[in-house]
Amino acid sequence: MTRPGFVLEVDDRTPPLVVHEGLGFRLEEFPLGTRVVYPPESLPAVDDVEGTIRNALLDPVDSDPLPELLFAGMKLTIAFDDLSLPLPTMKAPDVRQRVIEQVLTMAAEAGVDDVEIIAANALHRRMTPAELRHIVGERVFRSFHPQGKLYNFDAEDRANLTHLGTTDEGEDVEISKRAAESDLLVYVNLNLVAMDGGHKSVGIGLASYKSLRHHHNAHTMVHSRSFMDHKKSAMHQSAWRMGRIIKEHVKVFQIETTVNNDVFPKPYEFLQKREWEWSVRDQASMLAARRGLALAPQKLRHKIFHDMRAPYGLTGVSAGEVEGVHEQTLERVHRQHCVEVDGYSDVLVMGVPYLGPYNVNSSMNPILATCMGLGYYFNSYRNHPVVRRGGAVILYHPLDEGFNQLHHPSYVDFYEEVLAETTDPAVIGEKYERQFAEDPWYVHLYRTSHAYHGVHPFYMWYWAAHAMDHVGDVVWVGGDRRVASRLGFRAASTLADALEMVSGSVGTSPSITYLHNPPHLLADVRV
Amino acid sequence: MGFVNESIDDVRRTARGWRWGRRSQVPRSAEAFVPDQRQAVRDSDWSRTKAAVAVREVAQKAGLEPVFRSQVRTQVQGLDVLERIEGPVIFAANHASHLDTPLILLSLPDEWRRRTAVAAAADYFFDTWWRAVGSSLLFNTFPIDRHGGAMATTPGEVLDQGWSLVIFPEGTRSTDGWMSRFKMGAAFLSHTYDVPVVPVAHRGTFAAMPRGAGWPLKDAGRRRQLTVRFGEPIRPREGESVRDYAPRIRDAVAALLDEDTSDWYAAQRRRAAGATPDPSGPDVAAWRRVWAQTESPHAENGTRRIAAWRR
Repeated sequence: MTRPGFVLEVDDRTPPLVVHEGLGFRLEEFPLGTRVVYPPESLPAVDDVEGTIRNALLDPVDSDPLPELLFAGMKLTIAFDDLSLPLPTMKAPDVRQRVIEQVLTMAAEAGVDDVEIIAANALHRRMTPAELRHIVGERVFRSFHPQGKLYNFDAEDRANLTHLGTTDEGEDVEISKRAAESDLLVYVNLNLVAMDGGHKSVGIGLASYKSLRHHHNAHTMVHSRSFMDHKKSAMHQSAWRMGRIIKEHVKVFQIETTVNNDVFPKPYEFLQKREWEWSVRDQASMLAARRGLALAPQKLRHKIFHDMRAPYGLTGVSAGEVEGVHEQTLERVHRQHCVEVDGYSDVLVMGVPYLGPYNVNSSMNPILATCMGLGYYFNSYRNHPVVRRGGAVILYHPLDEGFNQLHHPSYVDFYEEVLAETTDPAVIGEKYERQFAEDPWYVHLYRTSHAYHGVHPFYMWYWAAHAMDHVGDVVWVGGDRRVASRLGFRAASTLADALEMVSGSVGTSPSITYLHNPPHLLADVRV
Repeated sequence: MGFVNESIDDVRRTARGWRWGRRSQVPRSAEAFVPDQRQAVRDSDWSRTKAAVAVREVAQKAGLEPVFRSQVRTQVQGLDVLERIEGPVIFAANHASHLDTPLILLSLPDEWRRRTAVAAAADYFFDTWWRAVGSSLLFNTFPIDRHGGAMATTPGEVLDQGWSLVIFPEGTRSTDGWMSRFKMGAAFLSHTYDVPVVPVAHRGTFAAMPRGAGWPLKDAGRRRQLTVRFGEPIRPREGESVRDYAPRIRDAVAALLDEDTSDWYAAQRRRAAGATPDPSGPDVAAWRRVWAQTESPHAENGTRRIAAWRR
């Protein structure tokens, strides 16, 4: 029986609690009365993965079974979510591999020759062959990659983009030409959090900057409350409008998969247990991990964390028409992540871990750390932010990982030039976005190297726009002071100092809520 | 040095936070979400083997008893009842402290003590292997489920094997030293297996080591007094139901408590008149109930008996 998520109130019996901070974690003793939001325990994984996938393909939602949509001589494109999902990377075999293998088996039986498999990475970096192989598996990789039929989407390849039209609101819909011209586009998603999936899959994953700029901007993000709740997210509403245009032109067979909360592999399972339930072995593992990490140089710590492969279990698969499928998917995601929280508080505390969607096998630079804390974690709510308007956010991260020059070249310039000027997302977008988006050097690196698109750091900053608009103070515990200052924030050594620093806006005895995340959670705040 | 100091800090924080050497605690707001303990260690058959009995004999005589007597003084009454019956029996006692079990076991004559097992809460004493092994080895405990679930070994099987049982029918230690309701378990076992119940009443264990205390407290540097009294065995009457029988066991313990504070005849008179003081204590403020129980009982006549006979 899976226990539900719940809100702990710190009392004299509460042991120190784990707070993630980059390539490490600390044990924090929170003030009495602090509320701590714990996610539900992992839902049971389905036993028969292959059977579950097959059933979904043969009995889809509002669609004919997949085999009936396949025929000899057709043009079939399979697109899949890139390495930004799931987090951490899933232990092999990845569920996308298992889905794609079944789709291809059916396609082979139907005699389909023209098949291309595209990683829907939008403006993310191109994945390496090894990263592609990890997601699709060796069989698929060997059959398609050498022939150039398994590849990363290139959002700057003008010759291979198709403009499908504009929405009622004048938004351009421009996606991969191959996908747009296929008789059938099968999208294989891995729906880790409530933000993913639905019309966001094709409409964003296979779209160009021309299309993305309509919803990836400060204005939209401020009005996405939150972007984890697609019905109240301006970004999703835009993506949904675009999705309906896509639907008019392309036959999409959406396959959405959901996984449970088994994030940490052995011997780090203690990180997803409730601390007061730690056995002697868990306590010993924690001490060993903490002391080992303290001794290890940064490179080794990076390797230890980034080599983790999550033992995620599949909780379900839905396939068929995009919107019908996504409804089922969200029901499962909510069951795994939702925690009811009674009211908001003055201070929100979050530990930013070593990993976000955009630093897989890379480094968590200060902009990504901001995006993770004020973007993804802050927005992990429904109905109302966990913190009151004008309240304070306290984040944990050392902000000391620097920049990966291979993956994040434009981030360096964004940090050195743009943030030195202003940290206001709206001003930044207005003044600098186009210049970065169209910079030929960044475009070149995006297309030929493994760099995120030039405009990507802007999106990271927009991701945090809602939080920046909503809260007063932001303090990084354990963060590098100069870096925090460049980001427009402040740094403190301890939680007590941070609370002291924000006392000007929230008083000396504020109500505090700590989101015990990861594993993933979604706070359903009842006001 | 920084690393060493940080390591020491980490260990200290862990030791304090997770209460090393003491039972861990669950935050109050998380109590509703505590996982089911029924998967914990349950098998205790090994603890009644000859080898375990031999180890226990050494542990109790060479370890437990000297330590116990160095910390508390005891006065035992009524053991003569055991000369008139043969085991197995069920010792049903009031429960106020972790001292109750060693007090009763160490008060029994050796031949009885060696053949007596103690029913212990599975969720408390059998939640980890080391706690299960420790308590089984030292006290001959076997697990019972306070919530009515099935166990690998039932108390009936232990009785069938010829072992007497110590059962605390209240199911848990008293929070204020006074007796609470008796559950049906002891009466049910006596009724089903036709085994007599020997009521046992003791006083002073709450004053010496209440809930939360990890070691017996001293009174101005002196060992605290405990008293224990064994009563006449009782059996279910012809046609008597368990529901009717259970209160009789409680009444017997209550009469023994009364006897321990006064004398046998006066207690018998009050019992006959239905005027035995209510062992659940007076309906007064909580502090007054606790206050009354924090006083250790006085040994009989307040005099020390001849050392050779003292236990």
